[in-house]
Amino acid sequence: MADYHQMWSDLGMDLEKHEALCEVLPEAFGGVYLSQENRPKGMDFYDFVVSEIHGIRPSELIAHQQNGGKVFGTFCVYVPDEVVFAAGAIATGLCGGSQFWVPGGEKVLPANTCPLIKASVGARLDKTCPFFMIADMFVGETTCDGKKKAWEVLNQEVPVHVIDIPQMKREKDIAAFEQEIMDFIKVVEDFTGNKITPEALGESIKLINNKRKTLQRIYNTRKASPVPISGKDALLVTQIAFYDDPARCAQMGGQLADELEERINKKEGVFPADAPRILITGTPMAIPNWKLHHIIETAGAAVVVEELCTGTRYFENLVDESATTIAGQVRALAERYMKTNCACFTPNPGRLEDIVRLAKEYNVDGIIDTNLQFCNLYSTESFLVKQKLDELGMPVLHIETDYSENDFEQLRTRVEAFLEMLRK
Amino acid sequence: MGETSDYNWYILFPNHNEGLKLSGELKRCGIKYTIAPTPRAASISCGISLIVLEEDLPAINQVIREQMINIEKIVQLPAIKNWKFRGC
Repeated sequence: MADYHQMWSDLGMDLEKHEALCEVLPEAFGGVYLSQENRPKGMDFYDFVVSEIHGIRPSELIAHQQNGGKVFGTFCVYVPDEVVFAAGAIATGLCGGSQFWVPGGEKVLPANTCPLIKASVGARLDKTCPFFMIADMFVGETTCDGKKKAWEVLNQEVPVHVIDIPQMKREKDIAAFEQEIMDFIKVVEDFTGNKITPEALGESIKLINNKRKTLQRIYNTRKASPVPISGKDALLVTQIAFYDDPARCAQMGGQLADELEERINKKEGVFPADAPRILITGTPMAIPNWKLHHIIETAGAAVVVEELCTGTRYFENLVDESATTIAGQVRALAERYMKTNCACFTPNPGRLEDIVRLAKEYNVDGIIDTNLQFCNLYSTESFLVKQKLDELGMPVLHIETDYSENDFEQLRTRVEAFLEMLRK
Repeated sequence: MGETSDYNWYILFPNHNEGLKLSGELKRCGIKYTIAPTPRAASISCGISLIVLEEDLPAINQVIREQMINIEKIVQLPAIKNWKFRGC
């Protein structure tokens, strides 16, 4: 077997604690993923990535560092990865989707912090995530109060650069974000020692756009009935996209999309054509948070689209590739990223419009609006989501949950009742 | 795959390259397999394993021999029935 223990030890990881995570992953992945019927063969790649999740990509990142490259750990879809790759560095997602890491975060954060933040901080402080141990710099942002304080804790471990995300979308806010990207370019150049040229940034914009286009292709196949891929599998593809090499992500995703398009031609699906079609909206689902998708899909419904950061927010809207100067490219980046609709903005009508548009495009029967416990922004915005959907007569269920298994059966009962209502 | 059987058969490898090599060969030959994280009951090291059907083992062993693929071992483990959700 591939033995990564030496690598983890060299990274300073707590091997004993990490062992507990390694023990539960095979069973959980088997129960949630491998139990599905008629999965696309293209999911082999993603099953492989999960099988080697703390081994193969970390070893690639370490090899990059040994060749003099830098690795930037990021947490949010507002961080322009294009800048990092343009400097010859690598951007990677960080751990944060498991209850396993939460107690470590609670040692330093208030218990009433969202599980995503607690898990992220816990993964670093407990030294049980190789990505957190590899990253030379973390790139934070100001999308919520909990994160803003978490960066100050993490900054005691590893240098953190915080990108100030505007909270409104006026022209002056877009201009302010443009300046934030300019500042980020300077930080990345100083940290890597590499100058970011218009040519390199142009290539990088194309690289990340290609990744987005591939994810768009995969998601577009989910508009078909019967749906050719489960919501769980599509979620996994998106979750892994945060960590993988962008070119490989586009290549492997493209192969999967080819297969899904063939399935549509053959009318081959993973759920019966009359299965209820569900849109999930709300807070991100970092790997390995598969709880809600598992509940919905084992109850006989298909999740056909996610209006989440681990969903459409990650890849909708491309960066204009026509600019040839740094100033023009940065403007194009700012315009693209500011089209993303997070609950941190006020007002945020764009998110409601996105939910309604996606519900129509994917022909959904019902919407599940979910937020992680203690996520004040999405929890509060759920009132406006429900108000809008009620106005349009679209069925909606609001769910607040965390990473634990404690509420699994209660959630299942609520989801089953919602699906029962949709089937009538 | 293997849900109806009382046991699952796992093929373990010294490294992921050998696992990918065998999965590619099995795909080419039309032999069923599932890529899975190695269960702890099979090995203390994590990484790729292949779940295969018992009836395909003779054909798979032939592929392994002919293609000179290095495997670590083939392990039979009880299949998990009525799995109850557990996060990780």
